[in-house]
Amino acid sequence: MGLLRMSWTFLWLSFLCIGGGLGIIPELERQSVTVHQWLTAREFLDGYTLAQLTPGPNMKVVAFVGHRAHGLAGGLLAAFAMFVPPAIVTAVVAHRWRRIRGRPWAMAVERTLAPIGIGLMAGGVYTLARSAIHDTFTAGIAVAAAIALVLRPVPPLAVMLAAGLAGWLLR
Amino acid sequence: MTGPGLARLTAVFAWVGLASLGGGRSAYFHDALVRRRRWLSDDEFLQDLAISQILPGPNFSNLAVALGYRLGGFGGAACALVALVLPGVVILLALAVVYLRGGFTAAVASAMHGMGAAVVGLIAVMSARIIRAGLRDRPALLLAAATALAVGPLALPTVWVIAGASAVGLWLHWPRASEALTPRGGA
Repeated sequence: MGLLRMSWTFLWLSFLCIGGGLGIIPELERQSVTVHQWLTAREFLDGYTLAQLTPGPNMKVVAFVGHRAHGLAGGLLAAFAMFVPPAIVTAVVAHRWRRIRGRPWAMAVERTLAPIGIGLMAGGVYTLARSAIHDTFTAGIAVAAAIALVLRPVPPLAVMLAAGLAGWLLR
Repeated sequence: MTGPGLARLTAVFAWVGLASLGGGRSAYFHDALVRRRRWLSDDEFLQDLAISQILPGPNFSNLAVALGYRLGGFGGAACALVALVLPGVVILLALAVVYLRGGFTAAVASAMHGMGAAVVGLIAVMSARIIRAGLRDRPALLLAAATALAVGPLALPTVWVIAGASAVGLWLHWPRASEALTPRGGA
């Protein structure tokens, strides 16, 4: 019963993620900490930091919450509820869009949405920079990573590991 | 369907997922699929980026699904989703066990800070490339700049920003009655 209620909560939250998961983090915290008390506020914050610094989408933080509340099954079910239903909607829309995209109104929609998508992405870079850059050391790492990627097609993973090593050795 | 094949698609999407430490960043897909492998054109990527950001659900996984569908149909979409999400979830759950047993050492925390900072540099470069490829006329540039300003420095609610920007964009681009029979070519 608890598992079911938790899955339902993450499912409706998943459909509130529009233009990026960041927008629903406050509501996700309210549901997890205050309403259902699946974990403490401190644990939620640590879980979100972990989710940000591990591979894959940030919203997998729900797996952390689910694991805290209901163990392994809770963690996996939480991730399923967050990612699979919106993915089905996206696949169906991508499928339909192929057939209608030649029409004039569909072209207007595409010409409108593409720059908005780019703008949301750029805004996200700003938000992330504010949370991750707080001194010369972190700013220096960010600049070094950017230069590495501009000069050579190094794999991002290699840059990340080097940065982790730098953080570990120099701090 | 002249895609890369499901096994190859799964491997590449899993690699993108694993490389995206520091959170889901859609720009990583541009780097992997458009610049490095040329599986997609800039325009195709931008269409899917827009779809994934407008539809409800986590962006990064939605983008994987849209790109996976384009490259391999519904099977490609399913493989893309699992490849992108599952490895990260498994790693996170493993770390959650360690965390709940007593937290991390200071060394791990500083390594994580270093990686968090590097992410900013990486996605700044990747996003700049997407901006250069995608914003070719003045209305597009202004719409993107206004959206970025609103959700970034001004921190306005994303849903309202999307609604407002969509209204302005559609008003600019909607086919006028006189053009209805001759839709604009190109673009």
